[in-house]
Amino acid sequence: MKKESIRLEAVNGVFRISLTVNGVKKNFAVKNNEFLLNALRRYGYKGAKKGCDTGDCGSCTVIFNGKPALACLIPAFTAHGAEITTIEGVGTVRNPHPLQEAFVEAGAVQCGFCIPGMILSSKHLLDVNPSPSEDDIKKYLDGNLCRCTGYVKQIQAVKMAAKKIKKA
Amino acid sequence: MSNIKYCSFPVTPKAALAELLSRKNEALAVAGGTLAAKTLPETTVNFVELKNLPLNYIKMRGPDLVIGAMATFDDIDNSKLVGSWAGGVISTAAARCSSQLIRNMATIGGNIARPHSFNIFPAVLLGLDAKVKILCKTGVKTCAFSDIYLADFKFRPGRDCLILEVVIPGKTRNWTCRFEKFAKTEASWEAYLTLFMAAEINSGSMNEIRVAVGALSPKPFRARGAEKVLAGAELSAGVIDAAVVELERDMDVVRASEFKKEVSASLFRRFLEVL
Repeated sequence: MKKESIRLEAVNGVFRISLTVNGVKKNFAVKNNEFLLNALRRYGYKGAKKGCDTGDCGSCTVIFNGKPALACLIPAFTAHGAEITTIEGVGTVRNPHPLQEAFVEAGAVQCGFCIPGMILSSKHLLDVNPSPSEDDIKKYLDGNLCRCTGYVKQIQAVKMAAKKIKKA
Repeated sequence: MSNIKYCSFPVTPKAALAELLSRKNEALAVAGGTLAAKTLPETTVNFVELKNLPLNYIKMRGPDLVIGAMATFDDIDNSKLVGSWAGGVISTAAARCSSQLIRNMATIGGNIARPHSFNIFPAVLLGLDAKVKILCKTGVKTCAFSDIYLADFKFRPGRDCLILEVVIPGKTRNWTCRFEKFAKTEASWEAYLTLFMAAEINSGSMNEIRVAVGALSPKPFRARGAEKVLAGAELSAGVIDAAVVELERDMDVVRASEFKKEVSASLFRRFLEVL
């Protein structure tokens, strides 16, 4: 479908936007000075975490129009028409994604604050490269900081998940 | 951001420019937004979001390499064409920018339109004699990349003109180049120093010498003194020493701190020694 130029107008500093979150169409009312991370959390998607709020730690990672991105750096009103995947859209407690299983099995989760971001970055990596090398994994996760572990377990977990996905 | 009243999503460069010109000084075009979003001027009323512009191409045009302004660092890092150009120096520079999450969002157009001293691409594009195609109210213009840093440059990218693409001349395709970023950590986006170096040896003498330095001031600069020593000379220990001394003088001109001077000198010497 051919896209057309559009212009949104804020009323009393509030934009009304439509977007798709985890495959479901949503309408959000967002303030003109609000970032996507805050808007998502306000609407109940609390898997995206607020860490540094300056784009350095990666705990706010979401998949934005197909690529992992930092929700704390995206003005919320620019998400109009966007397709977003948060951690809530990746597996469930009863039916976890192979990455989520692998992170638990490898002992890659300690406090868990950084894990949604790690999983989403890793998911995109495995989607585009089902057999990543260790260097690929390190490069892909370089923006997701973890203050509990030494990153070794997360790298093992991604390798383990790649094997699981291949077997499935 | 609290004064933003409009957010435009143009799908053509012309529509984007029309949005910018309709609200002079109150409209701002944003590409990737990794740097701009948190530092928007309070005067911004119309936020012109460029993500729908079809400018994320990377292709050959005649002998030249053309990179659309909306190509992200990740696009550039993963492009085989860019990877094969000038020893992969442009890809290397893209890969050295911050983290993967930033590289997924940040664009080459945004990186050169916002004059932050630590931006990755300016030193590389300056060293590769790049040209920039811009769209302004009188039409499309092509100018040398270095021109956009001139005090008398008539336009303000993202305010009253749009950067459409970056053109890397075909003559640079097989140059021997090196890019170095010196920062606190590998993923740090605030480089203390960026250094681009290029040199060719033909029939024993050196030519196509480029030494471009970034991150020391808002404008990247060519170390002309060091380039002059090397141009046409035969590579020897004495010539290398003389070139390094000249680079240190060039760094003194911009009042580089002592450690940055030493780092640049060491990196430059290493580059020359393995030529």
